[in-house]
Amino acid sequence: MLLPNRRKLMQGSGALLAAAALPSRLRAAALPRVVVIGGGFAGATVAKYVRRWNPQIQVTLVEPNPAHVSCILSNLVMNGALTMSDITLRYDTLRTKYGVSIVADRAVAIDPVARQVRTQNGSRLPYDKLVLAPGIDFDAIPGLDSAVLPHAWQAGPQTLALKAQLAAVPAGGSFVLAIPPAPYRCPPGPYERACLVADYLKRNRRAGKVIVLDANNDVVAEPHTFHTAFQTTYAGIVEYHPATVVEAVDWSARRIHTNWGPIQADAANIIPRQRAGQLLAASGLLGSDPATRWAPVNPLSYESRLVPDVHVIGDSQGTGQPKSGHMANAQAKVCADALVRYFAGEAPDPAPVTASACYSPITARTASWLTVVFAYDPVSGTMKPVPNTLAEAPAPSSEHYEGMFGWAKNLFADSFS
Amino acid sequence: MKLHLKRPPRSVALALLLAAAAAHGAPPAGRLLAAQCAQCHGTDGQAVAGMEKLAGESEGEIYGELVKMKANIKPDEIMHRQAAGYTDAQIRLIARYFATVGRSATTTGAVSSRRKSDD
Repeated sequence: MLLPNRRKLMQGSGALLAAAALPSRLRAAALPRVVVIGGGFAGATVAKYVRRWNPQIQVTLVEPNPAHVSCILSNLVMNGALTMSDITLRYDTLRTKYGVSIVADRAVAIDPVARQVRTQNGSRLPYDKLVLAPGIDFDAIPGLDSAVLPHAWQAGPQTLALKAQLAAVPAGGSFVLAIPPAPYRCPPGPYERACLVADYLKRNRRAGKVIVLDANNDVVAEPHTFHTAFQTTYAGIVEYHPATVVEAVDWSARRIHTNWGPIQADAANIIPRQRAGQLLAASGLLGSDPATRWAPVNPLSYESRLVPDVHVIGDSQGTGQPKSGHMANAQAKVCADALVRYFAGEAPDPAPVTASACYSPITARTASWLTVVFAYDPVSGTMKPVPNTLAEAPAPSSEHYEGMFGWAKNLFADSFS
Repeated sequence: MKLHLKRPPRSVALALLLAAAAAHGAPPAGRLLAAQCAQCHGTDGQAVAGMEKLAGESEGEIYGELVKMKANIKPDEIMHRQAAGYTDAQIRLIARYFATVGRSATTTGAVSSRRKSDD
């Protein structure tokens, strides 16, 4: 809880002006400090909204990259419809408009007792509340090197490497796309990518095959949309193999080993199984069972169930809500509201709602959508889908393709500017 | 605590009180629920492109549209599914919040600009 003198200072009506007049060192000692690790959709949104909702809380965002490259729309960079600058989101506005301090460094350790974050460059950042939004980490697959075969499941250089892979598929060649077991980042994403790879091959090379190896027993998201696309739109191009797990890769022989045997390929995009960002396990946020992949948190505040004053939002949290930029933004606001209330001595909102919506391109001109709304269920203490809210678009359309850009631009702006 | 203004105009003093209240008391009702609309409709309903702007619409308008969508879900309308995610009481709070932020951002001068920057 807060120190009494800090509480008192914050309650004064002239606190804003008084704080502005103090030297920064003194101000730092007097005002509540939130440190956010990770500048994706979750981290950027929580930093922005804490500052918007209470500018007396100091917010520091620790992120080694100079900008965030969005996974959302990145398949459209792969197929050449967009460029990297269209999906590159800078932190400038968080700093200039909202007063978020940006520390361009990598967080390497957390000391939950001293309440400090240690960075690669040796800084120690003290916090009253810590928010972890480090995204995902990947399981290793024997023989698979992401520098050779890009996963492109974190956008940036990997996106361009995948684009180059796709452009190099020989006429009539095969492209293998492997989907990990759920939960993984962006449930419809791999199927969307399979569609756009098929579309690209159809338009640029004729013939060719896209072989989808899905570790899951069926399409994880938008089953109607993607089964229709695979069987009709891309009939003769996409082959869909459920319950197929990649066990090893021998890329010098262009061979992929699965639970059903080896497959030859001309190009491949193998998306490995995922878990919470590395820092979480190292900091005790996943507990002692190595099978735990995502951080157990209280969905009213996203505070860790294991480490006090540490909150986890976005892909690393383990509430069972889908892992996506839109949901990361949704959770970040629930967390920001809980932090603002905490520093005012209040309990979190007892009935939070998180809304999910996303658009997936199916061809170069059409898109589908997927939506669901979650509400807190006080009986189970979990977020549950509200009846009648989970749905996919009945059919892809050019209208939804347009809608996709309206959605993405607003989501980018609401999170980063 | 002394203000750094010699004779603060009434509106400025009021603005500071409101800002302090907004920053430290209970968050305005509906603010967190309404923030879930912002992913598509812009921060505080100020859409940047390609989506309907909600800030400044009247409470009756927003409430009326959402309950109508919820009552008659059309399969091709993503917004109808979103509307179904909220109770009538929650929709009322969301509508009231957007009507309020719209009004304070456009018509009430000093108080509103202060609140806008601090809310």
